[in-house]
Amino acid sequence: MTDRPAVDRLTCVLCPVGCELEVARTAAGGVAVAGNRCDKGVSFAEEEVLRPKRNLATSVPAKGTAARMVSVRLSAPVPREMIFPVLAEIGKLRPEAPVRRGQVLIADVLGTGADVLATRTVRGQT
Amino acid sequence: MAETPRTSDVDVAVIGGGPAGLAAALGAKRAGAGRVLVLERDRTLGGILNQCVHDGFGLFLYKETISGPEYAERLAENALREGVAVETGAMVLDLGPDRLLRVNARGGYSLVRAGAVVLAMGCRERTRDMIGIPGTRPAGIYTAGSAQRLVNLQNLRVGNEAVILGSGDIGLIMARRLTFEGVRVKGVFEIMPWANGLERNIRQCLMDFGIPLELRTTVVEIRGRDRVESVVTAEVDDRLAPVAGTETVVPCDTLLLSVGLVPENELSKRAGVELSPLTGGAVVDETLMTSVPGVFSCGNVLHIHDVADWASFEGFAAGERAARYAAGERPAGRTVRVSAGPEVRYALPQTARAGAAGVEWSFRAVRPLRDVRVEVRGRDSGRIYARRKFGRILPSELQKIRVRAAVDEDLEVGLHD
Amino acid sequence: MDEAKDGVYDVAVIGGGVVGCAVLRELSRYDLRLLLLERQSDLAEGVSKGNSGVIHAGFNVPSGSLKARANVEGLGLMYPLAAALGVPHRMTGKLVVALSDEGRPRLEELLAEGRRSGVPGLEIVDEAAIRRLEPLARGRWALYSARTGIVSPYELVFALAESAWRNGAEVALEAPVEAVAVEGGTFRLATPRGKFAARRVVNSAGLFADEVARLAGSADFRVYPYRGEYLITDKDGGFRLGMPVYPVPPRDDPGLGIHLTPTMEGHILLGPSAEPVAAKDDLASTREVAERLKAEAGRLVPGLERAPFIHAYTGLRPKLVPPASGGLFADFVVAESGRLPGWIDLAGIESPGLTAAPAIARMVADLIGTGMALRPKTDFEPGLPERRRFADLGDAERARLVAADADWGEMVCRCEHVPRAEVAAALRNPFGARSLDAVKRRTRCGMGRCQGGFCTPRLVDILEEEGLPPDRVTKRGGGSRLFYGRLKD
Repeated sequence: MTDRPAVDRLTCVLCPVGCELEVARTAAGGVAVAGNRCDKGVSFAEEEVLRPKRNLATSVPAKGTAARMVSVRLSAPVPREMIFPVLAEIGKLRPEAPVRRGQVLIADVLGTGADVLATRTVRGQT
Repeated sequence: MAETPRTSDVDVAVIGGGPAGLAAALGAKRAGAGRVLVLERDRTLGGILNQCVHDGFGLFLYKETISGPEYAERLAENALREGVAVETGAMVLDLGPDRLLRVNARGGYSLVRAGAVVLAMGCRERTRDMIGIPGTRPAGIYTAGSAQRLVNLQNLRVGNEAVILGSGDIGLIMARRLTFEGVRVKGVFEIMPWANGLERNIRQCLMDFGIPLELRTTVVEIRGRDRVESVVTAEVDDRLAPVAGTETVVPCDTLLLSVGLVPENELSKRAGVELSPLTGGAVVDETLMTSVPGVFSCGNVLHIHDVADWASFEGFAAGERAARYAAGERPAGRTVRVSAGPEVRYALPQTARAGAAGVEWSFRAVRPLRDVRVEVRGRDSGRIYARRKFGRILPSELQKIRVRAAVDEDLEVGLHD
Repeated sequence: MDEAKDGVYDVAVIGGGVVGCAVLRELSRYDLRLLLLERQSDLAEGVSKGNSGVIHAGFNVPSGSLKARANVEGLGLMYPLAAALGVPHRMTGKLVVALSDEGRPRLEELLAEGRRSGVPGLEIVDEAAIRRLEPLARGRWALYSARTGIVSPYELVFALAESAWRNGAEVALEAPVEAVAVEGGTFRLATPRGKFAARRVVNSAGLFADEVARLAGSADFRVYPYRGEYLITDKDGGFRLGMPVYPVPPRDDPGLGIHLTPTMEGHILLGPSAEPVAAKDDLASTREVAERLKAEAGRLVPGLERAPFIHAYTGLRPKLVPPASGGLFADFVVAESGRLPGWIDLAGIESPGLTAAPAIARMVADLIGTGMALRPKTDFEPGLPERRRFADLGDAERARLVAADADWGEMVCRCEHVPRAEVAAALRNPFGARSLDAVKRRTRCGMGRCQGGFCTPRLVDILEEEGLPPDRVTKRGGGSRLFYGRLKD
């Protein structure tokens, strides 16, 4: 993860207007937002600059095969700095088929409150 | 000892079992078609969704954001539950006169006669040679979608240090995906002055990981004899020609290309379907029927979509119309033509029956614009049939505008200040 | 070591291009122990992979030269040979067009040269005839050559080698000759695949013929690589060319000028350029040449410069003319070494080498026959088993094939309609070539519009099922690996 510049430019994605925001961090630890055409832009910028959260997705091999993959994602976004720690946890998974879509493979991964879910059904060996 | 191929009859045959095709089958079934058959060349239903493991799908169809495989499975389950017949591993080789399909599958080579056909074959990726990158021809050059399949479904490490050409969404998604797997992504290069992918993906796939995005820059040479050893990038001028003296050598072992998608209309061409040079897909009327009666088209084979949900909605509509055609309904009457006006690359459908009301047009902007109105105007009368304001419009986004009134003259969809 | 096991071959051919394979196949008519050594991981990987696939009539080379003789003789041999081996080919005819009256004298010269060499079927035709013969072409006058044709160049090489193999010849890939010793009339050839001994050696090493000759001390010639770039149109691009169309050959061009050649599958090749390069592996293409190919193609067939292109490739000509010499012509070398009896050098076999190959092969057999008794085999089999391409078959036959073997029902390549059965057959080729390019050249899988985007992931699975793990999958052997292992074990 990179160091962020003092002024961050981002496009608000809450509605199709797509305001281009300029966001500066204040000494008090908050943000000052310019370029927003409505108030929603401020909360969007605060969230995105101060507490960005991300979902993530990858795939892992089913047990006993190197090439039969089970795709996974999180049930909810996690703080951005948790991406790589969570990926490392997921990387250890070797779920045994059969796997159901929606099956929880890791509950509350690393205490983030998010579950790791299988996003694909893989039938057992026939 | 020649064997006659097995021949079967269906009401609606859908070619392709991705987000558009599965929806088309559902649409046909829900409109009362008897036997609806989906022919999918891959071994699983869902098409390209299966390799799109990231989330962001389904917001419009399922009102929640899910991953590609989940979207595919849910749609496939619905189709099967509602009585759609499915053949996987079945490739349609030919679509002949009278809607006779030649289908090859491990289970046998067969002919299918259909009351109506829905084309939903999707698209393919533009390749190195379509954009003409000079240099050597080593291993290590992948289109972004192929790499996505190899990584997500086949567990293969396609390289160690990658450069991505083109800022389409698949390229951006792959930048993040490769980063997750420890592949160093050295940069994304985009020849246009603007990025082609969604803002959200630029932020979450590139900026989050410090991956540089260089606009107005392209790859002008590939180097390396056996495997890619480096690429040479250069800035381009306003005519997109490389500027001498701006070359930079970027060492890497992998080049991913995310330089555009092309509707895959090989079968349509064999069937004599008229294609649009603007979309690369069929010319269709407001029922999504092509120039060949009884043959409909939807999804990425018709025009490239930005969101899978829209491909599905188009599929539902095409399937419904195909079912009505198979049941004997024949739209009649004069047609009007619809063309792309100022700042619009294309508008679809390209024709409509005079008197049709409530038709929705899809269109794309030529370049990013702010504070514009899209207008559907009568070409002769100048009458404005529909108008909608946009604070911002991007070429990467497929936009829609609906005309409530009945149309009875040639129309133009344009963007105006 | 290995020699004890293998014994001594009667003839070893170095180089698995069209000439080497034609020689091998010609010699396989006789009761001889034969070996072909190829440095690359597949046949046709050198000069033979980058050419136009034209069966030349023979009017482009000076009469009286070995090039002319071998070309005209080869023309007579090529059509029956391709037919016997089941290699796709067609006698198309060819036009060399002059855009104005100015070019006509040059056409007359070519006509006269061709007639002196005994080239059949030549005439000068006018504008109306040009349009009738090839509606896409434009020109004031043309030399029309009725006997010129096209052939699928890789398939010709593979078929020649397979025919030789079926008649008892052996082929070793990835076996570059690294040292040559001569002991008591026997040549000892050292390769990474082992040492081989042979009583006669045919040096058909193309670009590397000079280096091989130097190893043996047979001759002192030098081979200069001249690069030629090509573009290939999409076959649905709106242009169907019936026959090759050439410009009047430019006097200062080391090649024949940038021309247009239809392929058996309906693509059009634009090219080649002709440019001396320093390295024998310099196969890079350039933006400048691509633009020039399009511009010159557009002069011959208006609009072709804007056609959709699906692929670009580059070949190297093995020329004996030094780039700075100002000379343009050097004849083929087909000769037994004066210093090394039993060692035959084939050098400078550039255009029209493909057409000339069967004639050169006969010349080599004659040379070998002067010092060694050539006894024809009674069981020589000139043909190959019929190879069926699913894409070319009718419904009934397709249904029968799939019913008999489900692998005919599994389509691997969606662009060129190649089923798994054809891929499997290609992977089980007698020489063991297993790279993606080896599959591509034998099946067309990956040669279509998607350029492998869809079939590569499928091929990787099939290769694994055929015993080749992803780690060892290459584009064309050597270091051209596709993958760096699994992401997660």
